[in-house]
Amino acid sequence: MLEQAAHPAPPPLSLTVGRAHALRFGRINLEVRQSIPAWRQALILAGAVITGMAISAALLIAAGVKPRALLDEFVVETLTDSENLHSILFQAAPLIFVGVGAAVAFRVRFWNLGIEGQMIWGGIAATFVAFYEIGPPVARLPLMMLSAVLGGMAWIMVPTWLRLRLRVNEIITTLLLNYVALNFLLHLVYGPWLDPKDAFPHSPQFHSYERLPEIGWGLSSALVMALVFTALAAWLVQSTRFGFYTRFVHDNPRMALAVGVPIKAVMLISVLLSGGLSALAGFVIATAQEGRLTQSFFEGYGSSRCWWRCCSSAAAVCRSSARYPSPWFNSSRRSS
Amino acid sequence: MLQFIVNWLAGTPSFAAPYALAALGLIIGERAGVLSLGAEGFMLVGALAGVAADLELGGYPAISLAVAMLAAAVVSLLFALLVVVLRVNQVIAGLAIVFFCQGLTSLVGTLAGWTNRAIGGLHEVAIWPLSDIPIVGRILFTQNLVVYLTVPIFFAVNNILSRSMLGLRLRSVGENPEAADAVGVSVPAYRLGAVVAGSALIGLAGGYLSVVDVKIWIPDMTGGRGWIAIALVIFARWQPWRALFGALLFGCIEALIPRIAAAGIQLPQYFLLMTPYLATIAVMIWAGLSKFGRSNEPAALGQPHVREERR
Repeated sequence: MLEQAAHPAPPPLSLTVGRAHALRFGRINLEVRQSIPAWRQALILAGAVITGMAISAALLIAAGVKPRALLDEFVVETLTDSENLHSILFQAAPLIFVGVGAAVAFRVRFWNLGIEGQMIWGGIAATFVAFYEIGPPVARLPLMMLSAVLGGMAWIMVPTWLRLRLRVNEIITTLLLNYVALNFLLHLVYGPWLDPKDAFPHSPQFHSYERLPEIGWGLSSALVMALVFTALAAWLVQSTRFGFYTRFVHDNPRMALAVGVPIKAVMLISVLLSGGLSALAGFVIATAQEGRLTQSFFEGYGSSRCWWRCCSSAAAVCRSSARYPSPWFNSSRRSS
Repeated sequence: MLQFIVNWLAGTPSFAAPYALAALGLIIGERAGVLSLGAEGFMLVGALAGVAADLELGGYPAISLAVAMLAAAVVSLLFALLVVVLRVNQVIAGLAIVFFCQGLTSLVGTLAGWTNRAIGGLHEVAIWPLSDIPIVGRILFTQNLVVYLTVPIFFAVNNILSRSMLGLRLRSVGENPEAADAVGVSVPAYRLGAVVAGSALIGLAGGYLSVVDVKIWIPDMTGGRGWIAIALVIFARWQPWRALFGALLFGCIEALIPRIAAAGIQLPQYFLLMTPYLATIAVMIWAGLSKFGRSNEPAALGQPHVREERR
């Protein structure tokens, strides 16, 4: 019969560790939920959006804007006035392109922060076709679109190749190439492509057949394009083997390598798609909104992409995949 | 020609100091395993805080720089809480902090009227009699105080990192947080401390930029220096003295740009402006090609640590 021997007193902490360094945060542990139902994800997202807007509203009120005027401007006028609604939808198209482009790249863990640079090159390539009058007027617009996509893809090819071949961190390269693209744009609009009519730093105005047309109800075809490309991207990610491979590469790259998924090809194609979509955003702004190449058409889209990436990916690209590792929600514990 | 070179080299440390200090702050954080992409944001916060303190508190550069460090440390607390306690993806959190800081500094600078107001700043201090030596004196001994202080700061941080128990534990947290946790080192505390301390240095770099160098606050005045500092850390293989060398290299390039234009050499303006960024990319390519490339990277860089999870 074994008697329970009295447990010896645990050795004092000072014997095991030089000094007690432990700064414990009590017995509270933060754990990540394994799975969240879709309604709760939507609720969290809505809550985040509302909190952000509340903070912005608080800042504006502190800066002296009257609350009544704020409510009028942002809620009442925005939603009820048809012209305001029209311009919201107008502005949405490039944002949609940028969001989907970012989502496609982030899915394979390629942190494409060069979206603004790719937008710039999309605009430059499209303007190149318009400036040098390449192709008959009938085919001009599709040619501009094609060259924009090729321009964006070429621009993102540099950091991609560096990442795939030399393992150079793409965060820095894509980001710094933004600045390089910006300087090149400034060189163009202040130099060879300066508008001779008014000497402002923008390219000459596009012809009417070089602009994206409006289609009924005041909607721009840019928005339709954006929705079509979003649907295509959603189909690609959800219903094709390629989309499955991208999910695989995101979740467990080592297993994907072991099983024989062509990781580099998958990454390359995803990133090129991302570059093309961002370039289309630039193309859309240049042809639909501005009608020429201006010096700051890309501003602001870079910072919206993070938020849009979450929104567009959660809502548009992968609604049904319950295990979608959206970084805001549930996979912070997975190594990035 | 000699005069051109002497002037150029004399201007280099002033351009190199923000890169060096920011890279050092990043090294402290990254050695503890936290990839801080918010460097650009913290530099902006430090820059604005420095100018604000200078305008509001009477124009003493020392106080302004101290306030810059404090402000950046406070903002980095937000980032540290996101990344260490809530374990948000470090890349995304860093980017979000950068955009947050860019917006915040622009807004606060405009609201409080600190934008576009010139301040006194620091003047160069010539260490007599050493500064009278023909060439070297001008280059090495006629700089402002912060540049002189950078070297002792590097010595101090390098000693703490590589030769003290505090530094050893910090490095262990970055290499293998599970092992450090098993020994009793508190991983969250060390990571938090490292991020805040590193960000104080980054804030100092930003404060130097606005208070001492340019002597004014303009929205978005750092112009990508934070990102270049991040690339510098990779180039320096996470070692302080190599980071100083890299910072001097970048200071050289950046000091050259206005001097070429001033010397009358005609080069397309915007292509000249591209050179720092292209140089950074070239440096990263070189670091990727060299066979020592990533061997010094802290093994747990960018990975959140949760005691209950096994990898």
